[in-house]
Amino acid sequence: MINETLEHPRQTPARHLSRDKIQTVTSTTFTRLVLEAEGPIVVEFMSYGCAHCRAIEPVLEQVAEMVKTQEKIFRVNIAVEQELAGTYQIQGTPSLLMFLDGHEVGRVEGPSPTVSSVLTAVTQPFESGAEAN
Amino acid sequence: MTSQKQTKPILLFNDECTVCRHIGHWVQRSAQSKSGETSILVQPIGDDPGTLRSLNPDLDIWDAYETIHVLMPDGSMRLGGEAVAETLRNLSNTKWFAWSFATSIFGFRPFQVMLNVAYAILADVRPLFGCESCGKPKVLRPIQWVTNWARNLFAGVPHKSPSPHFSLSSAARRRPLAVSVAPLAQSSHS
Repeated sequence: MINETLEHPRQTPARHLSRDKIQTVTSTTFTRLVLEAEGPIVVEFMSYGCAHCRAIEPVLEQVAEMVKTQEKIFRVNIAVEQELAGTYQIQGTPSLLMFLDGHEVGRVEGPSPTVSSVLTAVTQPFESGAEAN
Repeated sequence: MTSQKQTKPILLFNDECTVCRHIGHWVQRSAQSKSGETSILVQPIGDDPGTLRSLNPDLDIWDAYETIHVLMPDGSMRLGGEAVAETLRNLSNTKWFAWSFATSIFGFRPFQVMLNVAYAILADVRPLFGCESCGKPKVLRPIQWVTNWARNLFAGVPHKSPSPHFSLSSAARRRPLAVSVAPLAQSSHS
């Protein structure tokens, strides 16, 4: 009756490894992909150890899919890219920075992890920019 | 790292969490024999998803931060309470009682179940002991749900959380949630 061995080592359940839909940019690729790129670009400053970043991640991926024809969304890991985080005065994670033709046009710090909240955050600055033009 | 075949279990821990870091260091010390050999390898999760995938292709960095993982040499992974049991089985000062977690009575492992519950509780309360990266303690969530429910019941409007989901990466001040729009004067395309 008593079995002292594990008959079936627990396997990890099927995981959604498709979470890498958002491309990570580094300090070496930031200039080319964000500052020199044309059009609206959103950069999420995050860290993998941040619970709020974990909560927002699936939402941001969903939003990235929704706006992919208009905007590009990138990710910067501030644990690695501390210099970039310092340059843009990132106070906490997640922070979404919106760039239009290489210039920062808006930022949102700690949005609620809901599609509507994040969608507003990543589209509103560009709409304001279009109106200003 | 990938070229060498893994021969020992690897315990991954969240080095941004004080509780996890203390436990990780304790395991590291306990796993070392007098000759310097280690029975289980201990390493922080880190920040590189690619490095973790090189350890195990099924390992996702977000999941690694969410719950404790032990990577087995056969390619399988143990999570949560199972990972704790596996770790204890590999330490000389705890393996004398760690056999109990594998004890099965009609397919039911009572000690493992107790360990799973204990791990779940510890995982929930670890923010209280200092873990900025763990988020809001889950033990407080029922209180929040009841408060929201009561507020909706009497106010008749859906409640929106007033506090942003925000984690400070440094000892910096908390800012209110706001979409700030910078002037476009410097924009080159205008």
